[in-house]
Amino acid sequence: MSVDVATHQVLPVADARATTGLAWRLVRPRWLGAGLTVLSFLAAGLTGIVPVLMIGRIVDVVTDGGASTDVTRAVVVALAAGLGTGLFTAASAVGLARVVAPALAELREEVLDRVLHLEGERVEAAGTGDVLGRVSDDVRRLTEALDEAIPLLLWSLSAIVFTVGGLFSLDWRLGLAGLTTAPFYAWALRWYLPKSAPYYRAERRAEGERADALVTGVRGASTLRAVGAEHVALQRIEQRSSAAVDITVGVFRLFTRFGSRMNWTECLGLVMVLGTGFVLVRTGSASVGEATAAALFFHRLFNPVGALLFVFDSVQASGAALARLAGVALMPAEVPVPLQGLGTASLHVRGVRHSYESGREVLAPVDLDVAPGERVAIVGATGAGKTTLGAIVAGAVTPTAGSVRLGNLDVVSTPPRLVRRHVALVSQEVHVFAGTVRDNLLLARPDADDDDLWSALDAAMATAWVRALPDGLGTQVGDLGHPLTAAQSQQLALARVDLLDPRLVVLDEATAEAGSAGARGLEVAADRVTRGRSAIVIAHRLTQARAADRVLVMEAGVVVEEGTHAELVSAGGRYARLWAAWSDTA
Amino acid sequence: MSADPRSVQVEDEANHPRTGLRLIGRGLRRHTRRLSIGYALMIAWQMSETLVPVVIGLVVDRAVDGGGWSDLAWSLGVMVALFVVLANGYRFGSRFVVRSVELESHHLRLEISGHVLHPRGARTASLTGETLSLATTDARQAPQVMRQLGYALASLVAVVFVAVYVLRLDLVLGLLVVLGVPGVLVLIQVLAPMVACRTAHQQARTATAAGLAADLLQGLRPLKGIGGEDVALRRYRVASQDASTATVGVAAASGLLAGLTAALSGVLLALVALVAGRRALAGEISLGELIAVVGLVQFIGEPLRGLGEVTAQFAASRASADRIATFLRTPRLTHAGPEDLRERTVPVLELRTVDAPPLSRLDLRVDPGRLVVVSADDPATLDVLVRLLGAEQVPHAGRVLLDGVELTALTTAARRRHVVVAEHHTEIFEGTLRTTVDPLGVHDDDALRPYLEASAADEVVALHPDGLDRAVRSGGASLSGGQRQRLALARALATDTSVLVLHDPTSAVDAVTEHSVAEQVHRVRAGRTTLVLTSNPAWLQQADEVVVVRDGVVAASGRHRDLLADARYLEAVGR
Repeated sequence: MSVDVATHQVLPVADARATTGLAWRLVRPRWLGAGLTVLSFLAAGLTGIVPVLMIGRIVDVVTDGGASTDVTRAVVVALAAGLGTGLFTAASAVGLARVVAPALAELREEVLDRVLHLEGERVEAAGTGDVLGRVSDDVRRLTEALDEAIPLLLWSLSAIVFTVGGLFSLDWRLGLAGLTTAPFYAWALRWYLPKSAPYYRAERRAEGERADALVTGVRGASTLRAVGAEHVALQRIEQRSSAAVDITVGVFRLFTRFGSRMNWTECLGLVMVLGTGFVLVRTGSASVGEATAAALFFHRLFNPVGALLFVFDSVQASGAALARLAGVALMPAEVPVPLQGLGTASLHVRGVRHSYESGREVLAPVDLDVAPGERVAIVGATGAGKTTLGAIVAGAVTPTAGSVRLGNLDVVSTPPRLVRRHVALVSQEVHVFAGTVRDNLLLARPDADDDDLWSALDAAMATAWVRALPDGLGTQVGDLGHPLTAAQSQQLALARVDLLDPRLVVLDEATAEAGSAGARGLEVAADRVTRGRSAIVIAHRLTQARAADRVLVMEAGVVVEEGTHAELVSAGGRYARLWAAWSDTA
Repeated sequence: MSADPRSVQVEDEANHPRTGLRLIGRGLRRHTRRLSIGYALMIAWQMSETLVPVVIGLVVDRAVDGGGWSDLAWSLGVMVALFVVLANGYRFGSRFVVRSVELESHHLRLEISGHVLHPRGARTASLTGETLSLATTDARQAPQVMRQLGYALASLVAVVFVAVYVLRLDLVLGLLVVLGVPGVLVLIQVLAPMVACRTAHQQARTATAAGLAADLLQGLRPLKGIGGEDVALRRYRVASQDASTATVGVAAASGLLAGLTAALSGVLLALVALVAGRRALAGEISLGELIAVVGLVQFIGEPLRGLGEVTAQFAASRASADRIATFLRTPRLTHAGPEDLRERTVPVLELRTVDAPPLSRLDLRVDPGRLVVVSADDPATLDVLVRLLGAEQVPHAGRVLLDGVELTALTTAARRRHVVVAEHHTEIFEGTLRTTVDPLGVHDDDALRPYLEASAADEVVALHPDGLDRAVRSGGASLSGGQRQRLALARALATDTSVLVLHDPTSAVDAVTEHSVAEQVHRVRAGRTTLVLTSNPAWLQQADEVVVVRDGVVAASGRHRDLLADARYLEAVGR
């Protein structure tokens, strides 16, 4: 852990064009709501300038010595406009959420869809932190932007447009005086954006690394404690969190310098508008009320312009988050391919070889045939290529060369998801999903009823303990729920296989995690679940090999022995030695 | 020692704030100086913002409405001076505040991870994703109170200034502002809890969806093995839609609040304009004052809205702070006391009439330097033993002793100096093979070699040209189960502890290797105590003593070859 090997191949990030395209695609089906929302924003902007015009009128009434009914009339108009602003403000906020929140939900679901359907190898190469960061941090950032930045952005835009229009409606010269500030605003923004964008990227990266360190520390806490290394993980969290703080504070310093420039531009604008008003009143081309309204208009611009430029920040940040989410969402989705009939379920593996890194072959050309209903055990030392072969047969890993056919199905070129209809893979890894026992089982066959579930549990020898759970099938298990032993967890995995009812089962040391006390029970369960199906059982417990129809012994990526248990034992080769060591209980 | 594990007091628990409010209060105290300067500058900034309409009124009254060039010059000069305070007040004031927020957030993040990574662990039931969300989202949200407080203070001062200014100008106008502004505020305060409650609901829903996604990603391999991606996705969709509905609910509530605030501000402005216009028409106040008053009331809507929103923001921060406080107050996982072991020698490990279901009145003595294997018929027996020896559990009756001192009475440091429990399921961390087996970096290659050889991890090292410097991905993703297990065993051996507890250390290792591992571990651990929990013959053969536990009691003990005479034993360990 003292060495950082962050050679991750992070998942793609979409460019601006692709991101916009995706956002458009998400909003388009909700066009009516989106249209009404835009209209509400415009109406809020329009009604917002009316009170200022009315105040200008009151000033003129006062300087020209008018009647008090004129004041009242102006006030009534202002009052009505104020109520309208309230109404449209509420309508626009509600409308926006109704359009954007479901769109965002759709986006994050698409992202998880892509991530779940990615090849397992690709997810691991990207790092869990990157993947989790997108599904949690980026989604949060967007949700927050939806709560605050986006409504503010839209209110500000409509306020600015209508206020500038209001300035010009008073006198074109007053409008121009106000507009002189535009280049300065633009200049401040052009100074700020190129500086802040890389800063934000660095911030995001630092947060990703921090999340990685946190995941490692939280998930591995118990192991870290056992070897007394928890402080190493904590130190790394501290370093990375501290680095993230420095960057965030740095970003904010930059932002306040930008804020100062904005303030000075405001000052310039007020001076320009008031100066112009002074001259226009002096030359008689504008009234004092008009000059006043102009100054109040410009003053009124402070907040929306500030808000607009300041939310540029969160908009930029949420844009980056959106691009990261879009990058995943726009990864090609699996094209649904019609499921073809399998015909016979005989497996033919021809000339399969594989290397994870170029030049280092873990599997030399391997041939293997498994007849329907035949159970083949693979044994061998670590690094012999057993797991790789199993994963290739199950379509989870694409081999560097060679072909794998199960009946009519070309396993190599068919998407793994379709291969799953016929081939199940139970890996060494055990995971109990957070949810009920029923939830865990239904992952394999969502339409199964409780009878199906019980019969699958029965096959996996799990009926007794599931019945004994506080709520039976409805008991919460997984991280937050009722704790299960490794053997019980693996029995759930085997029950899932039974529910899936595949033609071929690949069990990759499915009894390994259980420990010796649970392994024998699991062996029986594995035996019952594979009965009547073709099976490839990667076994380190040789009892499983003995029970198989045929045994393959692998060494350094090559099949070195093949035959029935009895044949191999009497042949006196590698397997015979393994068996002697295994069965030697005395 | 009391029989009830819950009665064991955790000494550092008292230091954690009891509630979210206290947690927030502690944060404010921690940054008092920095925050005071920041708040003072922010108040100066907000006051200047407030004075802008007053100065506009001044310029119109003295210069635009019939004044001369010199009037224009000096009144605009006042304006520029005002902006000097305004621009710098915000620039520097907010920096102080943001720095405090970020430092506090960092502090909370370390506190949360420090709680999980405490030498004695934490007895929490949180998903990894939830803890992660606590350390990122909540640790970020809770200290936002400091920022909210800054804006609230500055806004409050501005509102008070406006009230005083208008009250001195005209009694009716003044009362209108003094009663109207707080009236609007109170109304918003009454409605704000509605938003706050929905916000908490929304945050919880969002966290649930994130937790579900994290759980699915962790189980990705088993999930893919059965093609359960689509079912899993459908489940996530339900959670995601729930979160989305909650978000719409929050937006509806806060949108109504924003609309109401805008409408009320509009009504107030109109009323003030009515009274001020008539007063100005009657010559009771000047033109400049008329403009200042309407400008002020128009401007004051902004800080007023800020004050209105601060309640909802504060509720969000408080919800985060509450979650953090609750989490930090979860008790320690392992028990500890004040005792130390003076002896530097290998201690005697003893379980004396221990009752901890399924163990019932179990007696077990492991003398220094021996390799003892405990073989049990029920996996739960071994799990309980692991928890007892790791001081995670206190027996209902009986004692677990190390040289006569109760294990749970030892300081954590003393216990860990003498006893290492390597659980069956272990994590492999991102790094290299070297950092995997020697995470503390205390051994050189020569010192590591015996441990690597004993665990047969040297074969894993030899598989790759980079050897010990081969990169390892998080979770050991590029390694097989057997390889991970060998590395984990090497790591346990390399702790070089006087008492090592191993739980089925070679379940994923092939038979031939298993035998040589058991033999070599016996040799490399010579002179120190090793307790192996397994029914694996390779280990049983190596054991100096085998202890057979059936139905929670010791049914037999002795050498493996002697025990084989017992038919039940043979049946239990035979293959």
